[in-house]
Amino acid sequence: MTGKSKTGWLTFLSVLICLIHLLPFYILITTSFKARDDLSSKWVLPGYLYLDNFVNAWREAHLAAAFRNNLIVTALSVLLIVLIGSVAAYPLARRQTSWNKFVYALFVSALIVPPLTILVPLYKYMVDIGGMNTYWGIVLLHVTFNLPMTIFLYTGFIGTIPRDLDEASMIDGAGRLALFYRIILPLLKPITATVVILTGVAVWNDYQFSVFFLQKLELRTFTVALSSFFGSYTNEIGWVAAGSLIGALPMAAIYLFLQRYFITGLSSGAVKG
Amino acid sequence: MAAPVRQASTAPPAKAGYVKRLVRSGAPLNLLYAPALLLFAVFIFYPFLKGIQISFTNWNGYNQDFKWIGFGNYSRLLADPDIKTVVKNTFIYGIGSTILQNVVGLLYALLLNTSIRTRGVVRTVVYLPVIISALIMGYIWYFFFQYDGGAINDILLLFQDQPANLLGNPKANVWVITFVNTFQYLGIAMVLFLAGLQSIPKEYDEAATIDGAGPVSRFFRVTWPLLAPSFTVSMVLNLIGGLKLFDVIAAMTNSGPGYASASLSTMMYLLYFGREDAGYAATIGVLMFVIISVISIAALVMLRRREVSA
Amino acid sequence: MRTTMNAIAAVLLILSVALAGCSQRPSGADGSAGSQSPASSPANPESVDASSGGDQIRLTVYSTMNETKNQEMMKSIAADFMKENPNIQVDFQFPGSEYENILKVKMAANDLPDVFDTHGWAVIRYGQYLADLRDEAWVSQLTDTIKPVVTGEDGKVHALVLSEAKDGITYNADVLEKYGIQPPQTFEELMNAAEKIKTESKGEVSPFYMSGVDNYMIGQFLDQYATSLLISPEQNDAQSLLDGTFDWNKWTPLAKSLLELKNKGYLNKDVLTAKFSDMPQRFAQGKVAFVIGGPSFADDVYKVNPNVKIGYMPVTSMVAGDSPNFSGGERYTMGAWKDGKHLAEAKKLIAFFAKPENMSKIANATKLPAGLKNIESSHEFSSYYEQYANVRVFPYFDRVYLPNGMWDVMCKTGTALLAGGVTPEQFSQKMKSEYERLRNQ
Repeated sequence: MTGKSKTGWLTFLSVLICLIHLLPFYILITTSFKARDDLSSKWVLPGYLYLDNFVNAWREAHLAAAFRNNLIVTALSVLLIVLIGSVAAYPLARRQTSWNKFVYALFVSALIVPPLTILVPLYKYMVDIGGMNTYWGIVLLHVTFNLPMTIFLYTGFIGTIPRDLDEASMIDGAGRLALFYRIILPLLKPITATVVILTGVAVWNDYQFSVFFLQKLELRTFTVALSSFFGSYTNEIGWVAAGSLIGALPMAAIYLFLQRYFITGLSSGAVKG
Repeated sequence: MAAPVRQASTAPPAKAGYVKRLVRSGAPLNLLYAPALLLFAVFIFYPFLKGIQISFTNWNGYNQDFKWIGFGNYSRLLADPDIKTVVKNTFIYGIGSTILQNVVGLLYALLLNTSIRTRGVVRTVVYLPVIISALIMGYIWYFFFQYDGGAINDILLLFQDQPANLLGNPKANVWVITFVNTFQYLGIAMVLFLAGLQSIPKEYDEAATIDGAGPVSRFFRVTWPLLAPSFTVSMVLNLIGGLKLFDVIAAMTNSGPGYASASLSTMMYLLYFGREDAGYAATIGVLMFVIISVISIAALVMLRRREVSA
Repeated sequence: MRTTMNAIAAVLLILSVALAGCSQRPSGADGSAGSQSPASSPANPESVDASSGGDQIRLTVYSTMNETKNQEMMKSIAADFMKENPNIQVDFQFPGSEYENILKVKMAANDLPDVFDTHGWAVIRYGQYLADLRDEAWVSQLTDTIKPVVTGEDGKVHALVLSEAKDGITYNADVLEKYGIQPPQTFEELMNAAEKIKTESKGEVSPFYMSGVDNYMIGQFLDQYATSLLISPEQNDAQSLLDGTFDWNKWTPLAKSLLELKNKGYLNKDVLTAKFSDMPQRFAQGKVAFVIGGPSFADDVYKVNPNVKIGYMPVTSMVAGDSPNFSGGERYTMGAWKDGKHLAEAKKLIAFFAKPENMSKIANATKLPAGLKNIESSHEFSSYYEQYANVRVFPYFDRVYLPNGMWDVMCKTGTALLAGGVTPEQFSQKMKSEYERLRNQ
């Protein structure tokens, strides 16, 4: 058999793919380490150690505060998304009455709503309930807008858990709710990893909501803080590049840690649903 | 359905009150989605209905007063010459990147499903852009396609005198954006297919091998049908994402030149904030909602049917 | 495989922590050394200290200033104000390019900042939401050009103008000197200069720089030259534009001259895709000669090359026998929200900014003429403003003669014209139909 040489070829191919996909990150890195007056090609590494972009991005965009805000908002949002989403998916997966099918369709259809059509009504609403420039205000928005995907994934996943399990414990006399916590919840680990990554990334990187609902300087999130460098009047591409690198690190780390569960979760949640 | 059967077997005979029957039917279970439903009603459905209302006005987006103009904005929609381009672009972004993402994503997944040692690295690298904000990735790609000092032109200039102006060419830039969007979200399709491949039992493939099927015919007879669910999810998610595309366009061309690379999303934004034409922008929003609903529901129904028959 | 992944992740994490650590030091050091950072550090403990007796009042102020240096200048003035008024806390916000969008949404929700910048729209856009400032002491000091711009029909004064815009043409004095060109007076001379620069530099220097992405640069050309073509000449169309009888065929020559700039190769080749932010670098490299509009980008040029000499001149005339002009209006302003909870304090803050010494600081930082009379300023452009002190200043064309919402139509259609999507005649047609639709709303 030619098994060995075939594997060799495939490895070569995979390395090539990696290189192609790393190109933008290479440009990102060269840009982030170059001084403002260095007009050399973006392909060329600077050849000197220059960290001012990182220092300036960190300071001028108040990235320390942005980091704190992002951590708080993302952590709270993801926690609530997982809690509310997993619980909501259970009846939708287990009691497929026509009403529940309708509710499920309603949830998922929210994926389609264009965010801008609801911006102004939403904003007025937030002002009325005092949710402007508050963590809870933006968290509620993130939770709501990430629920469709979450419910979609959880419902699919719970659907793959054999009903026998429910029925066996029903005979044991466990109530439905108790059943959910004792039997179903522990089984949801892999899909929860998937949900954490997908929604965590969405919340962490959010621009459209954060820019309107967290306007105060001290409450700004990462993407919004960085965007002040690439607005139409400013030209600090080195700072943007450096800031983007800093901002991507936490998400990259979380992804690396959860990667294994992530795929297992998808394979049983989305793909079999 | 399961519920009535269960009731027959476990319910005490007759007289149990309405409440009890209700409890036993499992309806109170629905309370579990009440918090989610409440959030939806408050933060999505109600504002969306308000948004639809705005489409029947000539509101400029900020004044306290406006007029009701009936279907005025809708008839403008029919006569607007820009809308044709914008809808066409939206379809290219939506359908073009969906096709690319699924084809390339599937190929990558097949590669990663072999036993090569680099597969963990490839999986991570290809997925990496998904983790970074699309707005920021769009800016990085702008550095590539930029005319003056752009990374691509630096290379082109080694071979020719004239730099290329890909983003300025209305025929080319739509495809450049489609490419960048594909690159950005390719990881999702890849991971979905990979997950699908990993859930196919090895025995199926082995059985087909024993039957004497080659790799290609094995793929089409065994793998492809069993990947149907992955395919459905990936198609629908990418379609919705592509049809709503905003960030990449905003970062790379700002919908220009003119409206040449605008999508319905960016057009809506320009009308809302730029032209102070919020009523018309809301009308575009409604159009967008209808288009995406029709396409994604049609795709879903078709794909699910294929899953069942497979 | 998993262990390698974990190792990579660990390294990344350590790296990010390390980065956080080492870059925090300079920021901390700077914070304590700088004398003017109270407003910049959130929830400053000293100023929130409520022991000063009365309740702490928070004033939120929104400004369109983009440059960090200018933002610091504004904050330092606010800090002086807080020293005098310990019971008032001033919160400056600089939303940058999102400013207009945020303010529009805020207006829709009737939730405005206590004090905000009206950047050219004090009457038309923000009028409904602004308090009347006519009784303030500084009103009598408003310059003669700016007073009518921020005064409503009923005599209501809408805002304090910190800096006036006096938009002409910014030029690269080194480039002009190199090719032996005097700042042109007429459009024809300007075209001749462009031709000379283009041919003699063999295409190295693009005479003009515009951006189809930040298409307000194209709009700026149209807006300023619409004044030269339609308003400034003795025989002008001001009246017909106002009463709606304007013959839009007269727009076609303007569209044609814009297209000519492109066809003759006077524009940067990537005009459709370049961004405004790409320009300062090229200007610094001597690759750009003229930029329509004010020199607000000067500091970005100096960052790349501090030795570039930047010149400033009025907009050339376009009709025979006419003289050059400036397009003017508000640039940076402060208006007070009429329904703000602390209107009295807001007025007090505005009055503080109107003090001559503060107005001087602002003029020197923004390099723009002050909106009040007799304000001393010295920066690299003050000599130009003095030199052209007698040149007529017209209010921005679009604010006076076009209905609200036309500005964007003009920018976008201008870009489409350069992209070859519409002809000059179609441009005029589009202007006409939108003008009529918006007027009749």
